[in-house]
Amino acid sequence: MGTATGIIRALNSGIKHLATKRFTLRYPEEKLKFVGDGYQFDPSTGVGIAGLKGRHLLFHDKCTGCQLCSIACEGVAEAIGMVKVPEEHKHNKKAIMPQIDYGKCVFCGLCVDACPFYALYMTNDYELSSFSKEGLIYTPAQLQVKPYVAQDSEIIITDRGATHG
Amino acid sequence: MSVIAPDFKLSSFIKSLLDNIFWILLLLVLIGIPLVFMVLFVIPLPVIDGELLTPFLALSWIADPSRTLPIIQAFLETDIFRVMAFPGFGFAALLAAGTIFAERKMMAKIQLRVGPFYCGKFEGILQLMGDGLKLISKEIIIPAKADKPIFWAAPVMFVAAAAAFVALIPVAPGWVVADVDLGLLAVFAVIGFFPIITILSAWSANSKYPFIGGIRALFQMVSFEIPLILSLLGVVILTGSLNLSEIAASQSNFPWIIFLPVGAIVFFITMLAELERIPFDLPEAESEIVAGWLTELSGMMYGLVQLGSYLKLYAFAGLFVVLFLGGWNGPMVVPSLPLELIENGIEMGPITLKISGLAPLLSEVITQEMLNGTLWFVLKTVGVIFFIILPRGVFPRIRVDMLLDLGWSKLIGLAFVNIFIALGLLYAGVLGPGGLQ
Amino acid sequence: MNEIMPGLALQKVDERIMTLNVGPQHPGSGHMRLIVQIDGDYIVACDPDPGYVHRGEEKMAEYRNYILNIPHLERPVIHDSCNVLYPYVLGVEEILGIEVPERAKYVRVIASELNRCIYIMYWLAIYGIFLGHSTMFMWPAGDRELLIDLMEKMTGARVTHAFFVPGGVRNDLPANFEDVCLRYVNYFEKRIKEYSAVFYDNPILIARTKDTGVLSRQDAIRLGTTGSVLRASGVDYDLRKKEPYDVYDELDVHTNVMKEGDSYARSKIPWLDMLESCNIIRQALQKMPKSGSVRVKLKPNPKGKGLTSVYKRVESGRGSLGCYVVSDGKPEPYRLKLSVPSFRNLIALPYLLKGEKLGNMPSVYWSLNYWPVEADR
Repeated sequence: MGTATGIIRALNSGIKHLATKRFTLRYPEEKLKFVGDGYQFDPSTGVGIAGLKGRHLLFHDKCTGCQLCSIACEGVAEAIGMVKVPEEHKHNKKAIMPQIDYGKCVFCGLCVDACPFYALYMTNDYELSSFSKEGLIYTPAQLQVKPYVAQDSEIIITDRGATHG
Repeated sequence: MSVIAPDFKLSSFIKSLLDNIFWILLLLVLIGIPLVFMVLFVIPLPVIDGELLTPFLALSWIADPSRTLPIIQAFLETDIFRVMAFPGFGFAALLAAGTIFAERKMMAKIQLRVGPFYCGKFEGILQLMGDGLKLISKEIIIPAKADKPIFWAAPVMFVAAAAAFVALIPVAPGWVVADVDLGLLAVFAVIGFFPIITILSAWSANSKYPFIGGIRALFQMVSFEIPLILSLLGVVILTGSLNLSEIAASQSNFPWIIFLPVGAIVFFITMLAELERIPFDLPEAESEIVAGWLTELSGMMYGLVQLGSYLKLYAFAGLFVVLFLGGWNGPMVVPSLPLELIENGIEMGPITLKISGLAPLLSEVITQEMLNGTLWFVLKTVGVIFFIILPRGVFPRIRVDMLLDLGWSKLIGLAFVNIFIALGLLYAGVLGPGGLQ
Repeated sequence: MNEIMPGLALQKVDERIMTLNVGPQHPGSGHMRLIVQIDGDYIVACDPDPGYVHRGEEKMAEYRNYILNIPHLERPVIHDSCNVLYPYVLGVEEILGIEVPERAKYVRVIASELNRCIYIMYWLAIYGIFLGHSTMFMWPAGDRELLIDLMEKMTGARVTHAFFVPGGVRNDLPANFEDVCLRYVNYFEKRIKEYSAVFYDNPILIARTKDTGVLSRQDAIRLGTTGSVLRASGVDYDLRKKEPYDVYDELDVHTNVMKEGDSYARSKIPWLDMLESCNIIRQALQKMPKSGSVRVKLKPNPKGKGLTSVYKRVESGRGSLGCYVVSDGKPEPYRLKLSVPSFRNLIALPYLLKGEKLGNMPSVYWSLNYWPVEADR
């Protein structure tokens, strides 16, 4: 009667799961919380700081226009191009800054690793959709804006199962 | 929501308004005029208090409420009501719709996810309405080389056969659409229609995947019909009659499942196979054939087939309840209706509160017995449907040769064992017309 | 008269035999085509036709330097990316002569084991769908989210992590990671033990997969299969024990072996491997040095000296994955070859399917632990 006990055990397991909590994350009412503020890189130690690889954040008061991020990306996705900006900085005589095309970016973070001036970080923002392909190209002025994120949901493990809450 | 609303133009607004008015008028005319004709000529007008009820008289009930209840009572006793609403199509369709929704939510809960939850304010309860509206609005595509008359007729025949099956199930004492003396034999005859309709639909689509699916459905349904019929013979032997209402009435002390558990299990397994439910859903959703014999059906034809399928599910569950679980019998939980009080009216000071037609309605048509019977029938059917839905979450699909082996050798063997148990119980005098009742 | 190539010659068509195309647009095949010839219900011959996802990874790797190859070479298996990069990174470290710090080795082992579990859950989900078991699709896909959440905390990305670099890993673990990891892994282990009631001890599954597609021990070794297919046929071979790399020689790894060699054994071995991975992660979390650097700082454009070639192998979710790197003193590798387990396991498929029923084809095909994208590179 191995067949019968196997069938009854399977049905039993099914009934037990009717009492387990649902695991679904109800996006967009709930959004996941991430560790820290986003992926950053410390050129003095040569090690990165853990965080989500989302949209980039460019600090205009640190970027010198050295093009290292663009050169790094040419081997991966060719998503960074340098453009002229109308601002005048002492440390950026050529007045060029990176512009990132999120249609091509693969979010690997090697550009952040390449920057020696602490100017390019990645943030927790991943909701980057747009209605047109041109809308995905973020200019340096757009990259300067710190994103507003309202994320506070994480996995909670209880006796009756794990949920997102 | 990525749809940008178009700008407002007065001409398109007026056009949409006129379009809606046109369609509403058209539908009213197309449905209203036949309805009026039916009422005037086809339905026998009931006689109430010695007067023939014409439509004009019916409208005068608005002025005198004491005449509405006799009209409603007369209507409840007609055949049309039984076919369309209570134990017939309306009731079955309501239970079928509830089953589809409950199935999706229950499957989702077993799989630790949510299921439908956007339609309707409370956890997606209007999802079925959304699905129905979607299916009505889709174009019905007929393959070019299909056999058109049969292809169009097949889903309608499917729903008709399922509705015929629903018509034979008794819900409460005296409440059955077709009280046939050979009720169980009629059930077998109607069940025999389903493989034919499936293979007609699959063949007429003239395409590869429906062909394979239809042949598999034919294998499955035909090879499980014999164990189905044999497993029910035990109950017939013990009851001595083929009338479904009598079989249900004979279980007033104990249900037959106590004495014939083997037959109940065999009937349950063959029921799952006839309904094409997991683990026996080879004809439908295989990862080899795209959707089986339903592949070429689109739009409302698919909707009709799903409706027929779930009506069949309700009918099979109802049959299981009537034959093995005691039908409508159960302890009396409905409180007895205070007929005396209603007859004489409640005295509140100088006025007597009395609704004149209510007492005969409650004592003849909607009796306490009928409410109690319906309640127990629905509860038991819901329980059986729960156990039909549950294997869908926990079992994989069975393979074709395992299916044939199961149907032709193992289940027939078990069904014969059941018949021998029934014959043994009968001739030992334990049950049946001579012994315990 | 030129000789006609075998694919172009006219073949005699047998009346009984029907050729089925279980092609890429099919709910039962993945990104690959199987040309199956059937006689009634029995398969007479099977000809797998991979190559739909071939992108030329090995050639493209010759144009990128060692660091820029990282996001590129992890694409064959996107959720098992750490294991695909592992042999490459080990090989490049040997070419450049770098010694990796201890904490980095432990972090790599944890990431590799998590990725193995993530891959096996996805594989199990698709196996459930092929057999028509929709719950077995939802449960692994849902429980896998726990581990993907861990990978996200560790590396910043859910798939294609780009985490391993020559010299260590790219970033250190976030604060409080050990507690969270331990909690999630414990719950994960509890969840996958529930699969036995619904899947592995289910009589319908056992009747469907037992004694089908039997691969004997000699045939498994002769055909060159690897990984879980080999261990399901009775050969005790796990690279983490036979050729330990990084810190596997300090951890206690137990190899799961089953003798039958049928589809049931091949579907059960990855599940047992996952239970084993949970133990390895717990041991690694305990033994890991609490502080230390996780990356060796490299000079820009690192190059090897002269003409060197290295071959390194790693046990990934599917079997032994090898990478052969040839360097000629330039920053880009001269030649890179990935030797993938999926392609080698595919050789067993035409051999196993001969004489099998058509209904068994999905279960035998997918039980060979085959990932089409990796086989095509």
